[in-house]
Amino acid sequence: MSAPLATAPAAPAPVPAPPIFKVDRLTVAFPERGGTEVAPIVDFDLVVEAGRITCLLGPSGCGKTTLLKALGGFVVGRDTGGVVYRGRYLTEPTPDIVMIFQEHNLFPWLSVRGNVGFGLRHSPGEPAARRARLERMLGTVGLAEAAGRYPHQLSGGMRQRAAIARALVTEPKVLLLDEPFSALDVTLRRRMHALLRAVWTETRTTMVMVTHSVEEAIVVGHRVVVLGGRPASVLLDVPTEGAAYRDRYDPAFLELQKRIESLIE
Amino acid sequence: MTPGRHAAPYLVGGAFLASLVAAWEIAGRSADSALAAVLPPPSQFLSVLLDSGFRIGLGSQAVPLAQSILSTLLRVFGGMAIAFVAAVATGALLSLSRFATWCFSPLLYILAPIAPIAWIPTAIVVFGISNVTAVFIVFMGVYFILTIATLAEIRRIPEEYLTVAANLGARPGERWLRVVLPAILPGVFTLLRTNFIAAWMAVLVAEMVGLRDGLGAIIMMGRNLFNSDLIMLGMAVIGIAGFLVDRLLMLIGTRLIWWRV
Ligand SMILES: Nc1ncnc2c1ncn2[C@@H]1O[C@H](COP(=O)(O)OP(=O)(O)O)[C@@H](O)[C@H]1O
Ligand SMILES: [Mg+2]
Repeated sequence: MSAPLATAPAAPAPVPAPPIFKVDRLTVAFPERGGTEVAPIVDFDLVVEAGRITCLLGPSGCGKTTLLKALGGFVVGRDTGGVVYRGRYLTEPTPDIVMIFQEHNLFPWLSVRGNVGFGLRHSPGEPAARRARLERMLGTVGLAEAAGRYPHQLSGGMRQRAAIARALVTEPKVLLLDEPFSALDVTLRRRMHALLRAVWTETRTTMVMVTHSVEEAIVVGHRVVVLGGRPASVLLDVPTEGAAYRDRYDPAFLELQKRIESLIE
Repeated sequence: MTPGRHAAPYLVGGAFLASLVAAWEIAGRSADSALAAVLPPPSQFLSVLLDSGFRIGLGSQAVPLAQSILSTLLRVFGGMAIAFVAAVATGALLSLSRFATWCFSPLLYILAPIAPIAWIPTAIVVFGISNVTAVFIVFMGVYFILTIATLAEIRRIPEEYLTVAANLGARPGERWLRVVLPAILPGVFTLLRTNFIAAWMAVLVAEMVGLRDGLGAIIMMGRNLFNSDLIMLGMAVIGIAGFLVDRLLMLIGTRLIWWRV
């Protein structure tokens, strides 16, 4: 998987991508028992560019899921700031931005085809075109054969592929992924990385992925943002475009990996 | 997964049951058995059935056994089906409004513990001695429990399901139909099956208070005629029919509503 990319010509000139999200002094606080609050995100700023994969890394409990939910409008922070999506403050979820959660992703009573096609009726296009898109998407994620099976009959990898397919088949502008591969073994994980990159190459969907694997963040992302501290702040923000970061044995890759790991310790 | 191992529970269960019945038969046959008077053996009470041409009752009042079984089944299924639909509907409505939940949930918990049998006098006054009374008693026996179960199941639905559905564009009504309903069905149905025994007992008691047909009426008739054969026959049919219905419900549960949330 990694060899051809090393010899590929330099990526198209890195035109600065337009921002799609502007996190502007976002503060998210949850009430706790006894009247106190936990505020994992306080006065947080971040810009996310369109058409790229941004990976968020950070120790567990530092607020990654909360930030991701805020990007999707699933969590709305204090009105002293917020998440600006294409020029507007997000106040609720939108079909433009689809999130894949850590668990309870697939509906157990629907087959793979039923799950992947769940949101299809609300997506653009003629019914025939939508059905064609569904079948094509099942093929893209390698689930054409398993389309009639039910979630409990699938392996962990197949389940995550189905969840990805379900999110992408409605052609959202943004895909948010919360530790989508954390339950998979290393081999399967790497295959999923390749799949995600392939899907991105085809659709150029803006993606924001939370992970706690440094390798995963560098391999998959065009940019890695490391979060830490309480409340969360950006410890490191590096571009990981370019062939070096697609090869996990490349010195530049290893060097960055080491740097990030020492930050997260 | 050899077929033998698959069948083993049935074979063992069947053999044990058969040997019990055989022991009962032998004990009941011996001439001076006191047992025969109270617990007439199968050969004795089954012959009653053959002699009367599968009709039970006196003269023109006699009712075919099949009709009694059918009436009881229709009453119990009717009451359970109405209760199931009503409970899911009530649970759904209450889940939509917190205010409604505050108003009605104390009522539910007050009415639920009242045994269905306790409703019989009231039901007879309102509906007379009719099928409606029997169906109503079954309904009262399961409706409150199922409504409470529906509310609990709705609270138990993983939040992600609803979030995902909304995120994929489903409006509230659609979310209810395509997510909430399938998510709660298995749990509520399991409870329906567990409560079938209660419904079954409720319908039998309702039938004992004066309906002309039904399995409960057979027992009552046996009692009035001091006919222990008839009582035993009624009990045997009730037991077997109840067992078969429970199996049927289990089959529906494992084949139609098989998923676990
Ligand atoms: N719904 C919630 N209610 C209360 N506290 C929450 C909620 N969601 C998250 N938190 C708290 O916010 C902090 C950050 O959580 P989260 O964003 O899930 O972290 P991460 O995804 O980085 O592990 C944690 O301390 C967690 O306990
Ligand atoms: Mg998390």
